[in-house]
Amino acid sequence: MKSSQIPVARKEGLVVQETAEEVLVYDLASNKAHCLNQTAAFVWKSCNGHNSISQITKLFENEVGSAVNEDLIWLAIDQLNEKNLLDAELALNFAGRSRREVIKKIGLATVVALPIVASLTAPTSALASTSCACINPGACLTQTTCPSTVNCNGSGICAP
Amino acid sequence: MLNKMIRPVKEIKETQNRYVAIESFGVKLKIFSDRKEILDEIEKRIAEILPAGFYKKIPARRAVHSFSVRRNRAYKYVLFKGKQKIEFGNEREIFLKYLDWQLRLTIAEFAVERVFLHAGVVGWKGKAIIIPAKSFQGKTTLVKELTKLGAEYYSDEYAVMDSDGFVHPFPKMLSIRGVTDKYRQTDTAVESFGGVKGIEPLPVGMILLTEFAEGAEWQPQFLSEGFGIMEMLSHTIPIRYNPEFSFKVLNKTVNRAIIVKTKRGEAKDFAGKVLSFFEDNAL
Repeated sequence: MKSSQIPVARKEGLVVQETAEEVLVYDLASNKAHCLNQTAAFVWKSCNGHNSISQITKLFENEVGSAVNEDLIWLAIDQLNEKNLLDAELALNFAGRSRREVIKKIGLATVVALPIVASLTAPTSALASTSCACINPGACLTQTTCPSTVNCNGSGICAP
Repeated sequence: MLNKMIRPVKEIKETQNRYVAIESFGVKLKIFSDRKEILDEIEKRIAEILPAGFYKKIPARRAVHSFSVRRNRAYKYVLFKGKQKIEFGNEREIFLKYLDWQLRLTIAEFAVERVFLHAGVVGWKGKAIIIPAKSFQGKTTLVKELTKLGAEYYSDEYAVMDSDGFVHPFPKMLSIRGVTDKYRQTDTAVESFGGVKGIEPLPVGMILLTEFAEGAEWQPQFLSEGFGIMEMLSHTIPIRYNPEFSFKVLNKTVNRAIIVKTKRGEAKDFAGKVLSFFEDNAL
C-alpha cells in the first residue's frame, strides 16, 4: 500500500539551478547545497503531488528505456527525505531490508545510475576565504587548512 | 531648538576627517578612527591591498558598511565591524593585517554584479584557468610558476566573475610566503619575476581543483558541471549572501569550461603540465 504514497517535492525556500547533467538545489533555511544526479533529479521532479511511487517508476522506465525496480525510486525518495527536499516525509518501503542491502540488490540488477544526492553546508564568507589570519587560538579551530588549528602565532597566523 | 539640531560646519568637517571611505566593486565602506595616524596608515594599506584603479574614495555619508577602530583602556585594539565587536592585543601589525583581510572580504561578499571565488587565476591564449583553493594550499606558488611560463596574471586571491561567467582581473600584488619566514606573506609585484598582468575579461577554459601532496603525480579526473560547482561552492564568498546569483554565475562559468581535479607535486614541474593539458583539452 505504501507504493501509493504521493510524494511532493518541496519548492519553498529553495534556489534551483539546472546544469547539463545534474540539478543543484540550495536550501535557504539550512544553507545547504545539494547536487542531484540525473536519477535523483528525475525522481524529484516527478514528485508533483500527482504521481505515486509506482507511477514514478513507470515514468522512469519510459525515460531510460528499460525495466526498473521500484526500490531504485525508493532509494531516491530515501535521500530526498533525508535532505529535506520533500514537503512531507514519506514512510519508506524497503520491506525490512537495510538501505545497504537494497543498494546491493539494485546495483547488481540495474543499468541506470543509482540516485545520488551529494550535499554540503555552504561556507560563511570568512570560511570560503580563509586567510589563516587569527586574533586568538580559537579563531584557528575552523581554519582546517592552515598549518595549525590550535595555535595563533606571533604574526597573527594560524601556524606554529 | 533649531540651533541645537544644526551641527557647526567645523564639527562636521572634523567628523568627516575621521573616516576613510571607499567604493570598490560597488561596495561602499568606511572606516572610522579618532586617531589620524591610524587612518593614514589604513589609507596607505588600502592602496596596497586593493589593485590600483579598483577603488575610489567616496564621502563617508555614502558608505553602507562600517568599520570602527578604537583602543581600549588597556591600549588594546578593538574593531567594530558594524555592531560586531572584535578585540585584539596591542600588536598593531596583527590588528591591521586582520583589518586588511576584513576589508577585502567585505568587498568580496557584497560586490555588485560580481561573484568572488577564493582562487588563483591566470590567462592563457584567451581563456582563463581558475584554481580555487584554501590558504596554504599553494595557490600563489602555482600562479607564480604559471606566469613565469608566460601566462597572464589575473589574481592570486580572487576570481572575480561577472553574470556572463567571464573572469575579470584582480591583480593585487602576489602574497608570497617563505620570503621572510615560512608562514608570513610578502607582497611581490608580478613584474619582479617577469610576469605580465592580464587586462581583458576572459571566458573560463578550465577550473583546476588541486592541492599539494608530497610526490603526487599528475592524474587529472574530469568532473561533471554539477559536481564541479559543488566543489567550487566551498570557495564562493557570497554563496550565503546571494545564493541565486552565485549559482547562476557558477553555472555560466562552468558551461564553457572543463573541470579537473588532481593532486599535485612541486608547482615548478606541475605548471608546465597544466598548460599543455589546457591546450589539449580546453582551447
